[in-house]
Amino acid sequence: MSKSSKELPDTAASWRNEKGYPWLFLHIRHTWGVGLVVTLVVIAISGAFYLWYSQSGNDTSPDSTAGLGYAVIGTIFFILAALLYSLRRRSRRRAIGHLNVVLNWHVFFAAMGLVVLFMHSFGHFEAISGTYALFGMVILTISGLVGRTLDHFLPRLIAGEVDKVLTLQGDDRIEVVSQELQAIVVYNTQEMRGFRVEDPLRAGVPTGSPIPTPGSPPSATNGQSLGTPWDLAYISLEATQQELDRAAPRHRFIPDKKSALTRPGALMPGAEEQISELQDMHHAMQREQFYRYLIRYWRMLHITLAFITTGLITWHIIFALNLMLPRVFH
Amino acid sequence: MLKTALLHKTGPQVAQEIHACIGCNECLLVCPALAEPITIDVLNRETLSGTISAPVARFARSCYQCGACVAPCPVGLHRDAMMMLIKVRLLRSARES
Repeated sequence: MSKSSKELPDTAASWRNEKGYPWLFLHIRHTWGVGLVVTLVVIAISGAFYLWYSQSGNDTSPDSTAGLGYAVIGTIFFILAALLYSLRRRSRRRAIGHLNVVLNWHVFFAAMGLVVLFMHSFGHFEAISGTYALFGMVILTISGLVGRTLDHFLPRLIAGEVDKVLTLQGDDRIEVVSQELQAIVVYNTQEMRGFRVEDPLRAGVPTGSPIPTPGSPPSATNGQSLGTPWDLAYISLEATQQELDRAAPRHRFIPDKKSALTRPGALMPGAEEQISELQDMHHAMQREQFYRYLIRYWRMLHITLAFITTGLITWHIIFALNLMLPRVFH
Repeated sequence: MLKTALLHKTGPQVAQEIHACIGCNECLLVCPALAEPITIDVLNRETLSGTISAPVARFARSCYQCGACVAPCPVGLHRDAMMMLIKVRLLRSARES
């Protein structure tokens, strides 16, 4: 069997239907385990030497022999962390999965570099360039770890939001609900039109229609003119003009102030659920956008911090060389 | 308040992109989340429907939507949107089971 066919996941075990998206998934690969072991070994050896060196009565200053040794090793680790991943990303020589290995080593080298450079300080945290550079590295490493944590959790949150705005078939749910809402609105509009009073002149209604027209004398249902004096209306058993108007079809949708029909949306039955669903989906899309921004801008923050830390380290190295070189040559 | 825009793709849009995929593997080569070798045809086949194999599911869970796969694609496809659809399918499969 060739090497490439060995690597492909065509085994029966790998082809079973995989389900679920747990929050705390962890896929430990062989290379990740190797990196972790190497990191722990380097930290353990450095720590053991630090303890032995400190308790043996030797010079425990950052510019002592051991301190300079720690500085050189820590800086090498940091350079490796910074360069390996960024160079590999831009490299033309690539293979599937290799970038992930390099990304893991980027994290491990950063952790090793930070621990070793802490030992280089030997507990001296005065307000000098070295302390600023060390604090820069601490913030950079923390931002990297937070970034990896965000990369782990935020895509799952995004998937949850996308799930809300896609139908089971994967179609756009906003489109589907909007069409339903439109259908309801069209239906309700047609219902309302069903009660519209037609213009009597257009509809060919005779002039003696009981529906009053502007400028025409008021009339009762039987077409009789209401020419009676105003005070006799109190003793008349006939319907008043106001009562006639209230019964007219064009006023049937004018509710009084306490009526349930005055509630927003009461004249559009069935539309409230759709409007509420649309609002929920709108909020889901806003959250999705926010999570995506967070992933992108946290990465930019990490890169910016890397540049600032590089500047602080360079400043510290120049400062240290200015102190040490005259001592070496004289 | 954020102005909303459709950042993900729908099933039919992803289906169109999968049909347009030429299988050059460029997206997989530049992916920092992919830890094990999988082939592009397997990934395309399992994106929309059917069973999701363990390597593809692991890859989908690990994908953190960095978008590194989009720029190198010679036909301008969005592999990150395809991976998001697998994530949604995995999420739904957890609810169903």
